[in-house]
Amino acid sequence: MKFSDEMKGKIRQFAKEQSQYYLEEAEMTYLEKLKYKTGQMRGQVAAKLSKLKKESNMSIEAQNDMMLYMSDYMNDLIEQGISEQEAFERAKEELKFRSETTDSANLQKRFAEYYENLDTAHYEAIGLFYAGFMFFGVSIGALTGFLGSGGKDMFYSGGWIDTLIGVVVGGIIGIGLGLISNAFILLKKK
Amino acid sequence: MQNMREMLKGVLEGIVMEIISHGEIYGYEITKKLRSLGFEEVAEASVYALLLRLEKNKLVHITKKPSELGPPRKFYTLNERGHEELVAFWARWDFLRERLQILRLEEKENEI
Repeated sequence: MKFSDEMKGKIRQFAKEQSQYYLEEAEMTYLEKLKYKTGQMRGQVAAKLSKLKKESNMSIEAQNDMMLYMSDYMNDLIEQGISEQEAFERAKEELKFRSETTDSANLQKRFAEYYENLDTAHYEAIGLFYAGFMFFGVSIGALTGFLGSGGKDMFYSGGWIDTLIGVVVGGIIGIGLGLISNAFILLKKK
Repeated sequence: MQNMREMLKGVLEGIVMEIISHGEIYGYEITKKLRSLGFEEVAEASVYALLLRLEKNKLVHITKKPSELGPPRKFYTLNERGHEELVAFWARWDFLRERLQILRLEEKENEI
């Protein structure tokens, strides 16, 4: 099967970007290594290096290999009834470079475990505790400040500041109680 | 068979070398062969990376043939060093299989 020119361009671009990750550093030219290491600044550096850059034969071969491999895989998918664009997206996902170090494998495993054990009910409960304690603290604090300062008669003549202090202190107490309940939930989860 | 990916990591190179030893073959054909053998969980990227490694370690002989997409397609055969490595792989495999079998039988005997 022949791909459209646009798709060929996409495959070529993907292969160019990804194949270098698969190549070990020893097989890249100095400029390729530099480009590889600069990560996010790659675009800026690449512009400066474009005039100087001479790709190694190994790098070009790896790109070509990936292009052919990707197009073979895409053809296979298209024969199964998948559209050209979908086949490209799937091949991209499959062929995207992933680090295979022990650390990254462990990290991935931990992430997977974390998401598997993630229960949204816990987070909802924590939020409700915070909100509940905040309302409780603010109400008690406001009432204590209001009554302590002399009630309605004194409110407009300076007593409001005591009510305000009561609200702030009550709010802080509410957050404190929310944090304690959060800690209890986390300990219970373990 | 499912959940084979982790287990296969250590032996995939040997399996691919064995496939290559059967005759001239290109990259994606190896993936298809693996699938037909039941190794469906092998990621496409694993085979691509493995072939790069085999080439880097000079274990394969490469013949380039024209392809319809433009760049030449690489066909792999095992060279002498590759054959030696494959023999060594099977020796390691036999050792491992034998030890595991002993362990398995010991366990069964203890149960009886």
